[in-house]
Amino acid sequence: MAAAVGRVLRLGGCWSALALPGGLRAQMLRLIYTTTAVQRKNIGASGPEKYTEEFIKKQIEEFNLGKRHLANMMGEDPETFTQEDIDRAVAYLFPSGLFDKRARPMMKHPTEIFPEQRKIQWGEDGRPFHFLFYTGKQSYYSLMHETYEKLLNLQKYQDQLLAQDLPSQKEKRNLSGSRWLTKIELEEMLLEKLSDDDYSRFIQLLENMMTLPCGDAEEKYIQKFSKEVAVQLKKVDIEPLKYDERGVAFSTGEGARKTARATAVVYDKGTGKITVNGIDVLHYFPVLQDREQLLFPFQFLDRVGKHDMVCTVSGGGRSAQAGAIRLASAKALKSFVTEKEVEFLRQAGLLTYDPRVRERKKPGQEGARRKFTWKKR
Amino acid sequence: MGALLPSVPLGGFTSRAPLSVVSGSGEMLRSLKGLVCHPRKLDHACALHTAARDCLSAIVTQDVQTPAERPRAVFYTSESDPAKHTEQHEGRHYSIPLEELKVVFPQGLPPRFQQQIKTFNEACLMVRKPALELFTYLKSSNFAHPAVRYLIYGEKGTGKTMTLCHVIHYCTKQGWLVLHIPDAHLWVKNCRQLLQSSYKKERIDQPLQAAAWLKNFKISNERFLKEIKTQRKYVWGKRESTEEGRPLGEVVEQGLARARIASDAVGVVLKEVRQHCQLGSFRLLVAVDGVNALWGRTTLKKEDKSPVSPEELTLVYNLRKMMMNNWSGGAVVATLSQTGSLFKPSSAYLPQELLGKEGFDALDPFVPIPVPNYSPMEFESCYRYYLDRKWLQHERARTEDGKEELRFLSGSNPRQLERLAAPL
Repeated sequence: MAAAVGRVLRLGGCWSALALPGGLRAQMLRLIYTTTAVQRKNIGASGPEKYTEEFIKKQIEEFNLGKRHLANMMGEDPETFTQEDIDRAVAYLFPSGLFDKRARPMMKHPTEIFPEQRKIQWGEDGRPFHFLFYTGKQSYYSLMHETYEKLLNLQKYQDQLLAQDLPSQKEKRNLSGSRWLTKIELEEMLLEKLSDDDYSRFIQLLENMMTLPCGDAEEKYIQKFSKEVAVQLKKVDIEPLKYDERGVAFSTGEGARKTARATAVVYDKGTGKITVNGIDVLHYFPVLQDREQLLFPFQFLDRVGKHDMVCTVSGGGRSAQAGAIRLASAKALKSFVTEKEVEFLRQAGLLTYDPRVRERKKPGQEGARRKFTWKKR
Repeated sequence: MGALLPSVPLGGFTSRAPLSVVSGSGEMLRSLKGLVCHPRKLDHACALHTAARDCLSAIVTQDVQTPAERPRAVFYTSESDPAKHTEQHEGRHYSIPLEELKVVFPQGLPPRFQQQIKTFNEACLMVRKPALELFTYLKSSNFAHPAVRYLIYGEKGTGKTMTLCHVIHYCTKQGWLVLHIPDAHLWVKNCRQLLQSSYKKERIDQPLQAAAWLKNFKISNERFLKEIKTQRKYVWGKRESTEEGRPLGEVVEQGLARARIASDAVGVVLKEVRQHCQLGSFRLLVAVDGVNALWGRTTLKKEDKSPVSPEELTLVYNLRKMMMNNWSGGAVVATLSQTGSLFKPSSAYLPQELLGKEGFDALDPFVPIPVPNYSPMEFESCYRYYLDRKWLQHERARTEDGKEELRFLSGSNPRQLERLAAPL
């Protein structure tokens, strides 16, 4: 009997309840039966694969064990083996010539590799844990709920202060050095998809909270959702002027563009004479366009006839060499000029290295972008 | 001066000044004698341009200032006789009357300068040091000695041909006979017709070039053609001949009439002139532009595709004889030119490089006269001239910054400056 049932089961397909002996019926009813077509649809709709908690725990144990093995292999102490040591060891043992760093072999803690996933939100009885589960975006709405509660508290506090006629404390917060989390960062924090509308509502709420005076706890809460932005200005460093044997001040700068590399030495108290590789600028750059490029930094600072320049340049073509010398001379001129003017130079783009390089030709196309002539037939 | 209204720029569009205005001011200048030297800047021009919106006030300022001194004197001198040019006039422009221009320079002015003359309706030349140097040499030279050869050299576009023209003008004013070959490179390249010479079998004639030169020679030296008489008989063909004692004009007429014998006519003219000069009746100036063409290579080919060397060309051969210092009573002023030269690198400008060994030996004892780029003062003067002629229409060009920009971009090279200023 059991063998016959088993044979039918192996054949698969849907079958309705047959007339079977009563003893086996109870077992039959508990079996789940589906057709192959329905089976396929279910697999597609399940989405990205879910990692269970035990799976993650096992990965972590394996990682730790592997770390110790790796430390032994490299002859280091397993107890004090840090992530940097792991990276170095892996790079040594599996050298790779791939350009993309993310494609190379790596060994990292499972929490960094496997994206965080939400645990099962309901218990054994099927009841969800969170009271807002049935809204669909439970973490988002709970966050809004909390934040609004805090906002109401702050408003109440401010009303109390006003009622008591105390001066409202205006604390200066550093607004320029921080920014709010982006939508993607917020999604990662909440482990939930958001829409643009939701995100903008949340940010508006935070802005409203910022306008009110708040205590330390609220400050800490808000800081969870803001990030520091490094100020550009502090990065530019200006070298001091040097003096040569004649007592004339000079400064050097280096520049590059495409494949050309240039160094420029700008002297003070000059007549605007420029020498490139020992040749006068008129002979080296017969084209007006190149000379205009050289003129640009000086003209920008209104110092056209006041400096002499001696440069060396190699590589690239005529336009690339002109661009390289322009960058080098702008960098050299930084030392002669006030900080404000250095900022003007930076904003004019004279101090930025031009990253444009020749794009590679791709197979199946005639050039970098140009495709072969399309023929209908 | 109501005609100035349209010339005042509104909105900074670039357009050339109307010619009528220019000629008006030019005539006024020539009539004004005794200009007072003023060191101040062109406030007159600045007043004009800042009052662009209010045209009436422009006319008012113009009327007030016209009868008074014109600040053109800073870069301009009314001395139109080159003989009287001294260091005092250095850096200043002087103008050559247009009627004189046609006689003195039927050929030989650089083409861009000719265009400039047509635009500005006046020919203004800058007095520069090399020219003044040459004048002192010419004034103090002893004409009993063999002719001294002066070689003007310099980088491209620094004003060698203009210096030569200045010297030619001076000599013409002094009454010399000027043999001016505008560009010797024209005789060694791009010649359409080459005939085998009837006089000597190996030589090759160039009828077109010879005829053109004879025509210009006739225009520039009319009176000498009547004075000089031939010293022997020349037989041109079976039926034509020129007797002894006939004026040189007849030889020139023969050359112009019959293109076949034009090159030989040129040779005859050169020989006669040289002989007469030695007798001392007049002074001779041989002015050659692009003298390095005489000793270089040519791009011409004979019918059997073999290259022609310069000695085989009649014109070149005769001219080389003139360049020798075996005659006295005059001077030879020559210019080196890389621009039209054949088979020479573009960075070459020294006599050694451009003439080659043969040429250098042939010209050997010569006086080199280098022509440099504009000095700051000369640059200033040229800039003011363009400004005054309303050639620089861009608003920025009138500011100090614009001047510095022009100076930087042109590298104080006259040709670059002229090319830069053209579209402005």
